[in-house]
Amino acid sequence: MKETVHIWDWPLRLFHWLLVVAVVGAYVTGKLGGDLTEWHGPIGALILGLLIFRILWGFVGTKHARFASFFPTFGRLIAYFKGNWQGVGHNPVGALSVIALLTVLATLVGTGLFANDDIAFEGPLFNLVDKSLSDRLSGIHALALDVLMVLLALHLIAIAFHHLVKKNNLVLPMLTGKKRVPTDLASSVPSVGALRFLMTVAISSTLVWGIWSGDLADYFKPIESLQTAALRLGW
Amino acid sequence: MKIKLPLALALTTVTTVALSGEVEEQIRFRQSAYSFLSWNTGKIKSQVVDHPDTFNKDQITAAANAIAAIANSGLINLYGPGTDKGIGWKQSRLRPEFFEKQDEAKELDATFIKEANELAKVAATGDAGAIKAQFGKVGASCKGCHDLIRIRE
Repeated sequence: MKETVHIWDWPLRLFHWLLVVAVVGAYVTGKLGGDLTEWHGPIGALILGLLIFRILWGFVGTKHARFASFFPTFGRLIAYFKGNWQGVGHNPVGALSVIALLTVLATLVGTGLFANDDIAFEGPLFNLVDKSLSDRLSGIHALALDVLMVLLALHLIAIAFHHLVKKNNLVLPMLTGKKRVPTDLASSVPSVGALRFLMTVAISSTLVWGIWSGDLADYFKPIESLQTAALRLGW
Repeated sequence: MKIKLPLALALTTVTTVALSGEVEEQIRFRQSAYSFLSWNTGKIKSQVVDHPDTFNKDQITAAANAIAAIANSGLINLYGPGTDKGIGWKQSRLRPEFFEKQDEAKELDATFIKEANELAKVAATGDAGAIKAQFGKVGASCKGCHDLIRIRE
């Protein structure tokens, strides 16, 4: 017996496909260089925002978006390989892939902030480090891209494998949010409140803005002064 | 006394050769060229890409002419045998494979010269949009070489 249920909430799906577009954009502008170089940084900012959003959503999103529900613990991996794992979200190996992809993307964005290409690119935080350190971080950026390419290849191969061999379409649920699952595992995630989504987006964009301008500390000064005021008022 | 002077001279010569051998000299010259190049590309980038309000035609023209002069100076002659290993102002970042990729390298050098000459021409017109577009092509020619023959740090 199977039943169709909602497993991926729409902010998660939006995140996924925006990330696809942004990563392709970053790749193309990075590889071709020239005129397109000036877009590489802003696209990097978008990816930074998406990553921050995804991490926050991993705590406040719906069930299958939460790290706690899919984090690939040793126990879950063992169970999966023994064929004892049951679930409808990320399976433990897929979860490994999610964590790896997020980590490598974070490395790319993190090093990119300080990177330079000795031509016409300087990350927004380039001035905070020595040129030699920036060069080293640019090297790591390039290396992380190689790793990302391998992970993306594995991602696509895994999707094709699930589709062709296991007759399990992973792409459609990532578009519609819906999946046919065994009835005993069937439970839809609740719909996402607009406020929860908007708050998460607001926090993510604030952090991107602060990181980009290199004065995150300054950016939080209004909050600090609020705290000081609150303390004085004895709250 | 009589023997000390020639000895001192000989020692000086040996030391000078050791410090500024042919290989190190080539590396140092080319590193200097790229350093000076980046001063000029930096000005153009700043004035046509990052802060278009600071556009100054005279400075852009001077920078574009300097870039063209560097491109036309025969930089490829500073890539003699053995110059993948050695310290100029700092360690050379030339990949050893460079010496097996002479044809590609010469082609990239020719592209750089062509685009840099075009940039000098376009700069003289003072058309910021056209300068920006041509500056992008020069940048792409730089990148072509970086991707092919430069070691990642």
